Amino acid sequence: MSLVDKILKILFWSIVTLIYLPIIVMILFSFNSSRSKLVFTGFTLENYISLINNVNVWESFINSIWTAGVVVIVSLALGILMAFAVVRYRPRGSTLLDSLIMVPIIIPEIVEAVTLVIFLIIVGFKLSPLTIIIGHIAFDAPLAYLVLKARFQGWNREYEEAAMTLGADEITTFLKITVPLMMPAIMAAAFLTFIWSYDDFIKTFFTRPTGFETLPVYIWNRVARGRLELDINALSTIIVVISFIFTYLRMKLVKE
Amino acid sequence: MEGDTLLDRIRRSRSLKLFLLLGPGLIFLAIFFFAPFIISLMMSLGMLDKEVYTWYLTFEVTLRYYIRFFTNPGTVRAIILSFYYASVTTIGTLLLSYPMAYYMAFKMDRRMKTTAVFIIFLPFWVNFILRVYAMRFILHEAGPLQQSLISIGLLSQPISILGTDIAVIITMIYSYLIFMLLPIFGVVEKINKEYIEAAYTLGAPPMKTFLKITLPLSKPGIIAGSLLVFIPALGEFIIPILVGGGRAYTIGRLIYDNFIRISGILGWAMGSAAAMIYIGLILISTYLYFKFVGREITLI
Repeated sequence: MSLVDKILKILFWSIVTLIYLPIIVMILFSFNSSRSKLVFTGFTLENYISLINNVNVWESFINSIWTAGVVVIVSLALGILMAFAVVRYRPRGSTLLDSLIMVPIIIPEIVEAVTLVIFLIIVGFKLSPLTIIIGHIAFDAPLAYLVLKARFQGWNREYEEAAMTLGADEITTFLKITVPLMMPAIMAAAFLTFIWSYDDFIKTFFTRPTGFETLPVYIWNRVARGRLELDINALSTIIVVISFIFTYLRMKLVKE
Repeated sequence: MEGDTLLDRIRRSRSLKLFLLLGPGLIFLAIFFFAPFIISLMMSLGMLDKEVYTWYLTFEVTLRYYIRFFTNPGTVRAIILSFYYASVTTIGTLLLSYPMAYYMAFKMDRRMKTTAVFIIFLPFWVNFILRVYAMRFILHEAGPLQQSLISIGLLSQPISILGTDIAVIITMIYSYLIFMLLPIFGVVEKINKEYIEAAYTLGAPPMKTFLKITLPLSKPGIIAGSLLVFIPALGEFIIPILVGGGRAYTIGRLIYDNFIRISGILGWAMGSAAAMIYIGLILISTYLYFKFVGREITLI
């Protein structure tokens, strides 16, 4: 191994270690029993107990899940229809159409959030969980479209033609042949849009009604004033463990 | 036609089919994405005003919110600071990720590559705010990192990094690294190794081969990564608020504050103006980037 290779190797693994360091320290301190928070004095599960007994955490978690669920269903419906239209019928100006649908993905989220709130205020739409959902769909539907279109492009029309030759009408063919063929792509899009919506902070924060918190908003409201809160460390630890398990399982599934 | 059902008509007409398929999505985006953007632009130009409860349109375009923005030393400083943070973050992530991507692409076998991508990706599934929050433990002067560095003698006394530009930049590089690394890795990995071997065979030294072959071929990844980092970094407000303290005042925080603290027409109009200025800055810097940096890389 040459000297350059050695340097590259050391550099690579040091950066990887540095990426993990903050998370490891945060996890470690979730077990800290000290009042001073930054000095590790003893092992405790107190932070976890107070977290589990915290009604607000559960409430915001449930809010995150159900809003993301609605967002995924609507975004997938819109995305599937649009991707199907573009791949199957190749309408004129589909490049322009593509760029139009891409704009919400490129524009920074804070700009989207702010313009949407101003629009809602002027139109006289009251902020509610519905406005959060609308804001998310405006990003997630284009995202679903992108993922689905990329996957639809390669597939083969013969199965559908066979079904039609055998006398199935277009709608039956779509439901019985096309949708099942689309299923892996739909699952991938569902996963991506759910994660985005569930994890989103910026758009949710601007478009939420006062008092309505999703998990990221709850976390923000706890840490934004600059304090260190060890039950947030406990919450992070749980999130880290769950995300690790999910990513691992997903990788296993993709491999198979 | 007699006995013509709606379904039959849809079946026959291509444009009706297209309308039914594309319509819902496009109408949704038109109402909840494009219209808000136009309304905000109008708001920032003073074209919308309010009388008691009803909004009305005026066609007296005014630049007063923009003038107010650019004549205020505080907001001008915010623009400069945002540029500074975003540029240093882009350069920092590039300097760190290029060697990483190079190592992954050229020195790892297939299985190792998959594992490496998995390992690097993993922490980024954790919520953004929590990752920034975790950095507080690392940067804090009474925190475990500095204390252990002191106890092994690598540091003579605690340094208060939290609340400085350095804290913001370290955290931003940490948070944005993956957006630079993945596009570069994607491109470097696909470079045809035969070109490099050909250069060696023809007697080119390693450094020259790198500068003449590998680096120019990595250009698309570098460009994609730089834009993926620079554009959101320019409007970042979470990191400056959480680790930067009051002095780290950016365009993102300006937009945020105009909404959270000043409600009413002034706050909304100023917030819209700030958002439009942010978009303008992105367009200008992307243009300049392609014009100068984009060309320079081809010249190497």
